[in-house]
Amino acid sequence: MKKIFAQLFILTLTLSALTSCEDVVDLDIPSGDPQLVVDGWVTNQATEHTIRLTESAPYFDNRPAKPLLNATVIVTDDKGKVFTFKDLKNNGYYVWKPASASDSLGRIGGTYTLNVKFGTEEYRATTKLNRVPKIDSMTYFFDKLPVAPTDGSPQEGYKPEFFARDPAGAGDCYWIKSYRNGKYYNSASNISTAFDAAFSPGANSDGLIFILPIRQSVVPQIEFALEKDTMKVELLSVSLEAYYFLNQVRIESTNGGLFATPPSNIFTNVTNVNPNGRKALGFFGASGVSTFQTVIDAKKAKPKNG
Amino acid sequence: MKQILTSLVFLLTLTYAYGQERKTVSGYIKDASDGETLIGVSVYVREIGNGTVTNDYGYYALNLPTGTYTLVFNYIGYEKIEKKIELTADLKLNLELKDESLKLQEVVVKATKEDENVKNIEMSVNKVEMKTIRQMPALLGEVDLVRSIQLLPGVTSVGEGASGFNVRGGNIDQNLVLLDEAPVFNSSHLFGFFSVFNPDAIKDVKLVKGGIPAQYGGRISSILDVRLKEGNSKKTEINGGVGTIFSRLSYERPLAKGKGSFIVAGRRSYIDVLAKPFLSGDLKGSRFYFYDFTAKANYRIDDKNTVYASGYFGRDVFGADFGFDWGNQTATARWNHVFNNKLFMNFTTFYSNYDYGLESDRNNTSKTGDKFKWNSNIQTWSLKPDFTYYLTPNNTVTFGGQYINYTSKPGTALAISSGESRNISIDARYADESALYIGNEQKVNDWLSFQYGIRYSHFRNLGPGTNFEFQEIVKGERKIPVSETKYETGVINEYGNWEPRFSTKIELSPSTSIKASYNRTVQYLHLLSNTAASSPLDVWTLSSKIIKPQIADQVALGWFQNFQDNTYEASVEVYYKDLQNQIDYVRNSDLLLNKYLEGDLLFGNGRAYGAEFYVKKNRGKLTGWLSYTLARTERKIEGINNNGWFPARFDKTHNLSVVGLYQLNERWSFSTNFAFNTGTPASFPTNRFEWGGWALPQNVNDSRNASRIPSYHRLDFGATLKSKKKLFGKGQGEWVFSVYNAYNRRNPFSTYVQQNEDNNLQTEAVRYSIIGSVIPAVTYNFKF
Repeated sequence: MKKIFAQLFILTLTLSALTSCEDVVDLDIPSGDPQLVVDGWVTNQATEHTIRLTESAPYFDNRPAKPLLNATVIVTDDKGKVFTFKDLKNNGYYVWKPASASDSLGRIGGTYTLNVKFGTEEYRATTKLNRVPKIDSMTYFFDKLPVAPTDGSPQEGYKPEFFARDPAGAGDCYWIKSYRNGKYYNSASNISTAFDAAFSPGANSDGLIFILPIRQSVVPQIEFALEKDTMKVELLSVSLEAYYFLNQVRIESTNGGLFATPPSNIFTNVTNVNPNGRKALGFFGASGVSTFQTVIDAKKAKPKNG
Repeated sequence: MKQILTSLVFLLTLTYAYGQERKTVSGYIKDASDGETLIGVSVYVREIGNGTVTNDYGYYALNLPTGTYTLVFNYIGYEKIEKKIELTADLKLNLELKDESLKLQEVVVKATKEDENVKNIEMSVNKVEMKTIRQMPALLGEVDLVRSIQLLPGVTSVGEGASGFNVRGGNIDQNLVLLDEAPVFNSSHLFGFFSVFNPDAIKDVKLVKGGIPAQYGGRISSILDVRLKEGNSKKTEINGGVGTIFSRLSYERPLAKGKGSFIVAGRRSYIDVLAKPFLSGDLKGSRFYFYDFTAKANYRIDDKNTVYASGYFGRDVFGADFGFDWGNQTATARWNHVFNNKLFMNFTTFYSNYDYGLESDRNNTSKTGDKFKWNSNIQTWSLKPDFTYYLTPNNTVTFGGQYINYTSKPGTALAISSGESRNISIDARYADESALYIGNEQKVNDWLSFQYGIRYSHFRNLGPGTNFEFQEIVKGERKIPVSETKYETGVINEYGNWEPRFSTKIELSPSTSIKASYNRTVQYLHLLSNTAASSPLDVWTLSSKIIKPQIADQVALGWFQNFQDNTYEASVEVYYKDLQNQIDYVRNSDLLLNKYLEGDLLFGNGRAYGAEFYVKKNRGKLTGWLSYTLARTERKIEGINNNGWFPARFDKTHNLSVVGLYQLNERWSFSTNFAFNTGTPASFPTNRFEWGGWALPQNVNDSRNASRIPSYHRLDFGATLKSKKKLFGKGQGEWVFSVYNAYNRRNPFSTYVQQNEDNNLQTEAVRYSIIGSVIPAVTYNFKF
């Protein structure tokens, strides 16, 4: 549904393009006390994992976030296994390294609990690592925008599409991340999520091949992949909480225009063990990951609508 | 209920039956130039110092003791007529009034004792003549009813380009927008830029903000009563125009030798036609246009029976491969019947529908393909008998009822992914609403009048349908469905409400009166919208076990004063409104194609209060008005703003409007608007936090609407030049020039925060303006 709103929004923008305008302005707003921010995500991949701890800051303070040092950071799973994260560089990035090349932290079906202690405060967050289907293939077709983008980006190129089937059983949630030549498409407005094979719980899309606009979320709507580009897509299983969290990150990152929703604080799954203690922000998530990579070759491009 | 009505009428009949012999003078008042009936013409009986006004169909009736009387017919903008009558038997007196402006401007208007502003019991009512709306400068030169009424006291909107309007602290769905008595669910074209009403087809506009009489119900904040023209019953008339957005054409003519008439009027945007040669590739199939078609016919069978039929059809169509279209359709049939001079009946039956459709991959017809198709609609039909009983000049009894049937199909949707299709529709919902009412307008003496009445409304959710139950885990968060009970037939759930209405007028002097009113109104149909401006996708949702009816109680007190022989009319009104069962939304709310939608709703109360100051100059070369409103509108919803009161999105403390029209000579007229509004409330973060490489906003107080965006102010100019030469020998032409936002202010629609486009860790604030420049426009209108 959100995507339809996005489409509508683009339509409105186009229609009002004659007159409407956006200007960056100064805004004088009060700030509040800093809070602990947890930025952590673990996967079933055999790589090192990082949990970043920082403090929140006044909204327009554009200096790098202040790291939270000297905390004890531990992740335990439902089988009692303990993973200790260490702040190796003393910069708030707490890292766990696999003991061997095949050693992974996450396991499909596992439940993971993060525990952060510093001073007298203790925080906890729990998440489940859900199943993820494999990506079967990736195709691409040649496409061209009717008008050249004003920012000088390409007017034509290839639109990649990934194919995967949501497993039977309703309620699977996903986060689709993609990379062009190793560079992550990192704009918050490009956060692509799915509930079963479509956008939202109401869509009754259990067990389908991911529906069309999601399949094409490999590159942002008005961007293209070019000849010889290496395109990589990652399909991450996420919890329902994480699905809502990511959607809210996307909405609150650019919440303007005629159809903006009232701003609201972004959900967090990190709680203080002491209910009256200082509250925390951020999210601790876990994913199963499937990846697929392809190099764009003009000769292999499919016809559009084929 | 029916028995109460009958006995009340009987009682009232008895109380006067034993007086001296009485006879009735009655009839229709029309415009002399085109035969349109005139609404609200004052009919004053000099000898008794009392009178009445014509109703919505131009009908009046006065029951008087036999004798000789002087009747004075008076209507703003028309020449006054005095008629001496000998009332010995029931008398039919149909009259035609001449438009004053057809004569030279120098007409001296005689002092008129009777004056609606002071004498009429109505309060919190604004009427704007179509003539005035036509002259006001308009955005892109398109005469717009909804934009014009936003310059009246007590009316605001969330911002430029937003659909609908807000009256005395009410949401946009709390206005009953009636087009010839049929409700119009979405009053906008192109999101909110233009209203759906074709100015060429409109005769009369009335906005009722308070003191709502018992015959109206169904929405809690206001009634916007739009009446269509009946069509010229004297001669064939063609009106048309070419504007920046629309091209318009209307045709009206008499029927059956003047016993009837009809009008058909159409408008269409034409930018797509001009753009067509320049589109290529994917855009070739682009569709972007909107149009509306309005028609009305009436036929006077005899002196006692007149029938009317009217209809509206409008549509907005956008998109190329991805299509989106929406629109309203209404149809009304009415029968005016005069039973016995004193008893007037109007029987209305209407149908109204609003629907939209979305479709992706329109160009893809292959079976293996992908598609998404979605339609949504709300449909209603109604029967509505209304009676007016002209008991005596001092007692006018109105009574009647209404039955409304609703069918809501929130989403009929189909998704096809790689050839596999899924029906993802939401079940249709059925309901009906019945109401009975009776009211009386009683003139106690020269200076004191009452209008009192009661309405009983009854709402039923009908089968087949489902009642859901939800469990609240955390206040203000999404509620979890725990059970659902399916019903095949019968009444699933019902509500009944008494809605008392009361108004009084105390005349202190011929040019001064005080008025007070109280009314309770109830609403069973709600537009669910969580966006700043309402979008065409928003779904009208029926009350249910979980969604309780919205209820408003309003008290208003006003001082009405006229100056200089009614050249100026002025009023000051204060109001307080209490709102129950107001709707808000959880964060991340999913309002479309969501079976468990009710779990995403939050409920609470509202309150609105304010003072409205209004001065209007009715006569002379310079006419217009000045309106100032000081107001506050708040909501208190559990789970939002720490459960405390917060200002509504459209709360504006100060709201000033000035409208000036100046008739220089027969050819040139000029106009100007000025508007000043306090900036709308906004919520800003206090802090930022870094997550996933993004700087995200956070408000440590979790407050809603604690800040405000800068004020809005705007000045517009307009000028109309009537062509000297007759168009093809007999027609008239005119050029209308307008300049919107004359001093080029970038008024903010909103201010919001975001990450810098090139650096996700850098935060910035953005001012978003819908209109960012001066907008000049030229329109050419013609008339044959």
